[in-house]
Amino acid sequence: MCAGSLALAILSLVVAYPAALGICTLVHGLARGLSARFLLALVHFMTSIPTVVYGFVSVFLLVPRLREWFAVGSGFSLLAAVLTLSLLILPTITLVLHSRMEQLDPTLRLAAEAMGFTPVQQVRCVLLPAAARGLTAAAVLGFGRAVGDTLVSLMLAGNAAQFPHSLFASIRTLTAHIGLVLATDSQSMAYQSVFAAGLLLFLLTGAVSLLIRKSGGKNRGL
Amino acid sequence: MQKTLDRLLTCLAWLSGGGTLLAVSLLLVFLASHGMPGIDAALFFGDTPWLDALLARKPIFGGIWPALVGTFSLVFLASVFSIPLGIASGIYLAEYASDHRHSLLDFMVDLLSGTPSIVMGLFGFTAILALRKTFLPGARTGLLLAGLCIGLLVLPYVIRTTESALEGIPDHLRLLGPSLGLTRWQNINKVLLPLAGRGILSGAILAVGRAAEDTAVILLTGVVAHAGIPGSLADKFEALPFRIYYLAAEHRSPQELEQGFATALVLLLLTGLLFLAAVLLQRSVERRWKTR
Amino acid sequence: MSTRTTKSICRVALVVFALILWSSAGTASAAALDSFAGLEGTIDIAGGTAHIPVMTDAAKNIMTFNPKIRITVEGGGSGIGVQKVGEGLVSIGNTGRALSEEEIAKYGLKSYPFALDGVAVIIHPDNPLSGLAAEQIRDIFSGKITNWKEVGGKDGAIHLFTRDEASGTREVFWEKLLKKGPIATGANVVASNGAMKSAVAQDKDAIGYAGIGHVDQTVKAVVLDGVAPSQENAMNGSYPVVRKLYMNTRGEPSKLVKAFIDYILSPEGVAIITKSGYLPLK
Repeated sequence: MCAGSLALAILSLVVAYPAALGICTLVHGLARGLSARFLLALVHFMTSIPTVVYGFVSVFLLVPRLREWFAVGSGFSLLAAVLTLSLLILPTITLVLHSRMEQLDPTLRLAAEAMGFTPVQQVRCVLLPAAARGLTAAAVLGFGRAVGDTLVSLMLAGNAAQFPHSLFASIRTLTAHIGLVLATDSQSMAYQSVFAAGLLLFLLTGAVSLLIRKSGGKNRGL
Repeated sequence: MQKTLDRLLTCLAWLSGGGTLLAVSLLLVFLASHGMPGIDAALFFGDTPWLDALLARKPIFGGIWPALVGTFSLVFLASVFSIPLGIASGIYLAEYASDHRHSLLDFMVDLLSGTPSIVMGLFGFTAILALRKTFLPGARTGLLLAGLCIGLLVLPYVIRTTESALEGIPDHLRLLGPSLGLTRWQNINKVLLPLAGRGILSGAILAVGRAAEDTAVILLTGVVAHAGIPGSLADKFEALPFRIYYLAAEHRSPQELEQGFATALVLLLLTGLLFLAAVLLQRSVERRWKTR
Repeated sequence: MSTRTTKSICRVALVVFALILWSSAGTASAAALDSFAGLEGTIDIAGGTAHIPVMTDAAKNIMTFNPKIRITVEGGGSGIGVQKVGEGLVSIGNTGRALSEEEIAKYGLKSYPFALDGVAVIIHPDNPLSGLAAEQIRDIFSGKITNWKEVGGKDGAIHLFTRDEASGTREVFWEKLLKKGPIATGANVVASNGAMKSAVAQDKDAIGYAGIGHVDQTVKAVVLDGVAPSQENAMNGSYPVVRKLYMNTRGEPSKLVKAFIDYILSPEGVAIITKSGYLPLK
């Protein structure tokens, strides 16, 4: 289950992080004016979509498609959870990155522009390196969100307590384990394991908070 | 090499922007097209006439009205716990705390905001079991416990927005009070808080939205599939997000599935409206400081 | 034209018949519900998910008769039923299996069996298979057989669905059909009988198991060794995978809870049990 949680969180980060970088590049370089504002508004709006709604739509939109297209497994899989979860943590990462890039000294950007950098070059060679600490903070924060999420993995990952050996395997995360097994009677091992899972999660997210502090950022609870 | 990198980044940028837009619009369109037809009086009240239902004269079966009431009571309770406490802590952090205490408290708040909601629920569940074993054998999971746990979950949002709203006030206004001979508390109470009011309010609204959508906490602290309208704080309750989760897994008929879509749409509209209110407030705050 | 008239006549007759049935049920319920007059309070019910349809229907009738009574129903599985009623978190804990000696001794629980249910293996209705041998089912669930082709179906990977560790349905299925054999670790886990049914109904290659009471036209119940998993066969003993459904209370129930249990065991309760697809015990 630890492996399940880690696999899900890391893979979601692998999907969501480049996308967040891309969106920030758009907003700060390629797309100016109205379209950039619209994209930012969209990302802000995404934070207000309830997790359970993401899960619900994925159960009926994504899972059947995955089952048909790949014809491996039932569709309730690591992949389904990864895709949905990356959409869920995307705004968190994007907004942290964006706020860091916005706080940069505007003269930096003007200087780059004066030197004849294209917008993409400005982002790649000037803005991103200058916001390097923000890059770490955003990744760590996104990871924290992904590890802590319950609903998406409970609804989509299939909940089989096994090692995630493939993208199409059904997996169980620590969070889903708590939700699923709090049921069993208080004598069994499973019941004890719920509290172990809870403690582990708490320590994990605690470590995330510590890391974010180390990287000099504040966790604004986005 | 540099050119390729640039081209790659450009590609990635447009791809991710377009992909996100596509994913979100797909989600919205899918939800709207499946949920819209299901939104009617029967969705809310089932077979019960609406007047009887509203006046709680007759119990409701099959409708989401009890879930709506449950969610509202939950949000109300969570706000009662978290908003005063959060604002007070925010004021303390922004205006009173010494550097040492500030960094310690800051870390506590970070820790709290990083805690997964299911762990918060587990904490609530364990607390009830402990209470029952010690001095309150009648304690049960229910509305009060869930409200407390959700309050704890959204507390960091309120603290953070209060703190940053206070810190965002320009220095000339911040110094105005003391220069006129106001005490520290008078300055906070009469000058700074009114100035930060809208910012704080927008934070509170965001917290409310978060309280309305959380499912994992209530999963462990007393939500049930069928309960009717809660009669007291100790009662078990229904809630919108849990109902969506429940219907996704165990709809017994196409009608129930349609109800699930409609319920999801209702919840999305609710949180969307709250979000919009928060954004508008935030905008008006920003505009206020810019005109000066 | 004439067939249409006969059809509409049939329809009218059906409606009239249903109305008569309904009105007679109404008078019967008034008698059975009398014991709830003047009572008030809350009954919290948790546990076995096979029980939920019976419990909610009973709750609906009782709460309509006397709105001062509040009845909440939640699932969780038989394990949660035992634990919650034992800890005193709910008034009635349902189980889809008999209580163990330790459970009775630890909490002082009292059991009220009220219905008989079989556990059927279910597949998607479009699956061409209709029957399987017990041995084949054991091999499928242990992961030895992974393709429908190997048991005479069409070519396609088998998607396994099983229940969580708290499930009584799982325990009965595992004990009586799998003979305590292993269940593949890669099987998807769902949290209730209802969830099992909707999961299998959505997946053409799925196989799972659920209480016979939950089986309807959206899934197909597999004929086991030539015996159809019907309530009749469960009753006469020819279908082997059966269990009783129990309500459990800690010690003697309160007056209100006792009234609820009596209601489930009354003729009115029996009607609800039958309607939900289970067999009343008497």
